Amino acid sequence: MTEFASFSNGAESKRKPLITARNIQKHFGSAHVIKGVSTEFYQGEVAVIIGASGSGKSTFLRMLNRLEAHDGGNIVIDGIELDANLKHIDAVRREVGMVFQSFNLFSHLTVLDNVTLAPRRVRKTPREQANREAMELLAKVGMSAHAHKYPHQLSGGQQQRVAIARSLAMQPKVMLFDEPTSALDPEMIKEVLDVMKDLARSGMTMIVVTHEMGFAREVADRVIFFEQGKILEEAPPEEFFGNAQNERIRAFLGQITN
Amino acid sequence: MKATLAILPRSWSRERRSAVAIAVAVFGLVVFLWVLAQVLAVMPEPIGSAAEQFASGAQITVELTVLSGLVGLVVGLLAAFGKLSKFPPARWLANFYIWVIRGTPLLVQIYFVFFALPDILPIELPDFYSAVVALALNVGAYNAEAIRAGILAVHRGQVEAARSLGLSPLQTFRDIVFPQSFRVALPSLVNNFVSLLKDSSLASAIGVVELMNIGNRVRSSSYQAVPVLVTTAVIYLVLTSFMTQVSGAIERQLDIENHK
Repeated sequence: MTEFASFSNGAESKRKPLITARNIQKHFGSAHVIKGVSTEFYQGEVAVIIGASGSGKSTFLRMLNRLEAHDGGNIVIDGIELDANLKHIDAVRREVGMVFQSFNLFSHLTVLDNVTLAPRRVRKTPREQANREAMELLAKVGMSAHAHKYPHQLSGGQQQRVAIARSLAMQPKVMLFDEPTSALDPEMIKEVLDVMKDLARSGMTMIVVTHEMGFAREVADRVIFFEQGKILEEAPPEEFFGNAQNERIRAFLGQITN
Repeated sequence: MKATLAILPRSWSRERRSAVAIAVAVFGLVVFLWVLAQVLAVMPEPIGSAAEQFASGAQITVELTVLSGLVGLVVGLLAAFGKLSKFPPARWLANFYIWVIRGTPLLVQIYFVFFALPDILPIELPDFYSAVVALALNVGAYNAEAIRAGILAVHRGQVEAARSLGLSPLQTFRDIVFPQSFRVALPSLVNNFVSLLKDSSLASAIGVVELMNIGNRVRSSSYQAVPVLVTTAVIYLVLTSFMTQVSGAIERQLDIENHK
């Protein structure tokens, strides 16, 4: 696998929040699942969100490209307010890539067509150019030899690497990862995490929901701990894992590492 | 379809084999209609002297089926959208349409379009187009169910992935949902199409000069029911066989996951 080109726009932009979430609320029927989450994500930052299932971490992530609508508070991404306005939603989705737990590759399209579809349709990139750029991205995730296969012919790890390339083809400013390795067999987790590490090193802004504590330790700039729809703690990984004061965080980490 | 595929080289790709199979079947259908008159002409009486009539009847049957089949596909798509709509009146309308069509005999529907519609609306259609309208509305109701099931079978994650990449709802439907649901709906749609070909015989009741009508005419003028009805049935059988050949090849064309 080759290194990704640098995605960072210089160190000076590092302190400018790319995403601002203020007092986010979300209800599913009578269940109050996100209870006033406020945080900011900076350009080039790698944030890892952890927490027990049902803590609202995936729901929060999915609200950042409005796969779920928040019903209180506001989210601003790269200066665009994410609200019910379809133009705003489409504008944000062009800037925010997403990688899913279950890969969600388009099952009727080849690997190459999976990667080129969005650039061709949304950015109106000519097919030749889209193919060329897609092949470069597939090389970076180590999948160029499989460009003409269909998703069902690939292993889970391979599918997920293609899904990452597919998102990158839209040249997003931020990448969301929703438990990208949770559906993978253990021997395939590493190949996906390696791609994500390369991506992080290239300066891509990443928000990752995961149970991979090793990845959080090694790559994250900040670890965010969700519990019962709230952020209970956020800190750099050394601090977070080094001396977790909170009893519930200690209990969670104890369960995860065993 | 297996017959055509079996003689094609194994080294060809699935797409190529099935594309050739589709072409062969369509070409075969055209040739069949072309030579039908000559073949029937050498048959003993009463078929031989009515060969031209049978051939033109078979041609009208195919035209009737293809035309109403295509319109029925569009009608079915619209009705499926109606059934899946978030807008309640659209759902009511679609459900009402499907309920009425599936709950009444096709013959009544054909009579209704031909005899009753001109009394209600200021349009008078010739018999052929009355039959097209009735058959299209009829098959459309059955297609709607097949298409709806196909759309519902598309995994939610496929739509989420497309939307998260910035594709509009229309692009998501055209590039992702439609091709995937079409693959699921195809076997049912083909069944409906084959039924349509057979049901088109009811158009004889309002005087469309298709295959069944020719059969009736030749039978009543010759008083020989057996050869006439056997000939009619065999022509229908050959036509439906071509249809299933084509559809089998299309299914293989779309069978990316190699189930068959």
